[in-house]
Amino acid sequence: MIKILIAGEGGQGVQAIAEILAKAAFLENKKSLYIPNFGVEQRGGVSLAFVVIDDKQVVYPKFEKADILAILSERSRERVQPYLDDKTKLILGPAITKKTIDLPSKAWNILVLGQINKEGNIVDKQSLIKAMEERFVNQFTQNPQLREIDIRALEYKK
Amino acid sequence: MGNQILAQAAKDAGAKAMFGYPITPSTEILETWAKFCLKDKSLSFLQTEDEMAAGFATIGACLTGVPAFTATAGPGNILMQDAFVMAEALRIPTVAMIMQRGGMSTSTVIYSQQEVRLTCFGGNSEGFRIVYSPSNLQELYDYTLKAFRVAWQYRWPTFILADGYQAKMKGEVEIPENQKLAIPNLKPILTKGVNLRNCYNMEEEVGEVIANYYSEYEKVRPEIEEGEEYQIKDAKIVLLAHGIVSGAAKLAVNKLRERGLSIGLFRPITLRPFPVKIALKALSGAEKIICLESALGQLAELFKKELHELNIPLKEINKPALGFTPEEIIRTINQIK
Amino acid sequence: MEIEPKFPQCYKTDSKPHKFCPGCGHPIVLRMLGELIDEMGLAEKTVFLIDIGCSLLAWDYFDLPTAQTHHGRTVPTAVGLKIASPEKIVIAYIGDGGAYAIGLQHTLSACLRNNPITTIVVNNTLYGMTGGQLAPTTIDKEITTTSPGGKEGFNTIKGPELLRNLAQPEAYLARSSTDKPLVLKQYLKKALEAQINQHYAFLEVLSSCPTNWKTDAKESIQRVQELEKTFKLGEF
Repeated sequence: MIKILIAGEGGQGVQAIAEILAKAAFLENKKSLYIPNFGVEQRGGVSLAFVVIDDKQVVYPKFEKADILAILSERSRERVQPYLDDKTKLILGPAITKKTIDLPSKAWNILVLGQINKEGNIVDKQSLIKAMEERFVNQFTQNPQLREIDIRALEYKK
Repeated sequence: MGNQILAQAAKDAGAKAMFGYPITPSTEILETWAKFCLKDKSLSFLQTEDEMAAGFATIGACLTGVPAFTATAGPGNILMQDAFVMAEALRIPTVAMIMQRGGMSTSTVIYSQQEVRLTCFGGNSEGFRIVYSPSNLQELYDYTLKAFRVAWQYRWPTFILADGYQAKMKGEVEIPENQKLAIPNLKPILTKGVNLRNCYNMEEEVGEVIANYYSEYEKVRPEIEEGEEYQIKDAKIVLLAHGIVSGAAKLAVNKLRERGLSIGLFRPITLRPFPVKIALKALSGAEKIICLESALGQLAELFKKELHELNIPLKEINKPALGFTPEEIIRTINQIK
Repeated sequence: MEIEPKFPQCYKTDSKPHKFCPGCGHPIVLRMLGELIDEMGLAEKTVFLIDIGCSLLAWDYFDLPTAQTHHGRTVPTAVGLKIASPEKIVIAYIGDGGAYAIGLQHTLSACLRNNPITTIVVNNTLYGMTGGQLAPTTIDKEITTTSPGGKEGFNTIKGPELLRNLAQPEAYLARSSTDKPLVLKQYLKKALEAQINQHYAFLEVLSSCPTNWKTDAKESIQRVQELEKTFKLGEF
């Protein structure tokens, strides 16, 4: 069983990558349960996503300590401290590390998705791409370039 | 998503009309149904001006024999009690999905188990209702199918009492082929010669109506009550929990059993009618009952009311508007014993 | 040299930056209101009541007594407050759902009774906080999440025009737009003066919702200007 917590601002695409990850697991016949956690603001405010992936049925979507914790914004960092212990693998998004990234900021969440998957060795890259194509079918149809950007983001190495 | 599963289940169950007002965390049920209506012209949808209108519109549809349902949460649930109580009085088989969010007042849009009392006994009700408390995505589907059948068969307003976590959770659900069983007893309620009233003149008139309802409810309840025993065999400590909390409790029971603790779980599936006989049998060997809920003792209150003759010490672990993780339950039990 | 415009005195500075979405019309309305409260010296007397919807995000916006109510119930709360304490300036600050759907009967009743409160309705033609559902102000063919095929067969409510049929002659009924903030400010002033003169006041403000309209900055402004063709600006 692997427990992943993703945290960021509303609008950063936290829920999108959680959905893609859970869907990719489903495509590989793994079991998964994903649940978002956020307040009332439609933009801004802290947005959390809990994803649990296992070989057997997942019964409860939330947990105390994350195996992997990915943080996309400084503001959400404080919120998720309780989920961190010495075994948690921490991933910090580009908005926090402020490293120069050759990717539009719209795709930074996909970059983090790639890092999560690499860290946890969770699913095949192809499953992620397929799940991404399903999730972003409208966006990719309207703008095929987005697909290339997102695939590049998935494989991006620091 | 849980909400999408509920809308799908209603459609598969044979529901034809839905009325509702947007309120988090139930809104996706309306939106999913609205999309169904684009493709299937036999289905109707109206977003009403508020939840009172949604409740009464649902009753209106049922009166003509059309299976209709609604969905709401929190403050919307409060407003709908106006309609639900009338459905109770007139024996109208409304189906409502309640996705519990934080209480009191507007609170959070996220989660709680704080609408148990409201859904079971809200308004000036005497509780002539059927309330199912599912605990996972599969049960959201299965019990919605059941809710429509049971509502029309027994003619009590019927509820799927879930919560904001189950509403927003995404996972997989098995939808069996040939699931579409016809709703039994489906016929118009308002027909020639039928005059319905919920207003009475003298105390004795309504006293008689209520006495009749009560005796009928008690007579049919064994056919409706449901409860689940989990690892209850020779369990000295029995956890009492419903809904998604029972899911977390099962995981805790597994771990604690591994460590040698004699522990099990009793989970009421119907909160109304409460599964009294099943509970008595499940708890007969218990020395201690620990009730876990995301409310201030609403489940415990129901339990005590129905099982007051049971003389087993009951401890309440109340976390209103907050969830329980399995790890937390394990820690709490270890601290208690 | 950069000149930062000063915040109105009645603003609560530690709640800034505010929580509204980028491009939302609310902060424009609230800014004009804040300036007016300063200019008219009303801070001591004003009570600010808000609905459950995007307006709830203004709960700590002002350094004024503020209360969230329940969805659609801001107007009756204001009515009761004003009856109990007539010296207060009571503002019911609500959205199009609170004014025209769940709260419509309260809107109509307060107008009918000529309750001297000031209702400000911020109209973005949909329900913002719950993610963009149909509203009584949604225009024909507009796609929302609960009118996925486009709104059809229902009329669009024109609030101030409707209320003119119920209102006493001295009641102030008007519509403005966040695209014309200075005119908005003029109308807001009259809406407050009406209350001071013991009359009912109702001001609808057309506003942008880039988040649910899924429009960028330019498109959002254009859309508000488009809306002015359906919802006539002016005093009624």
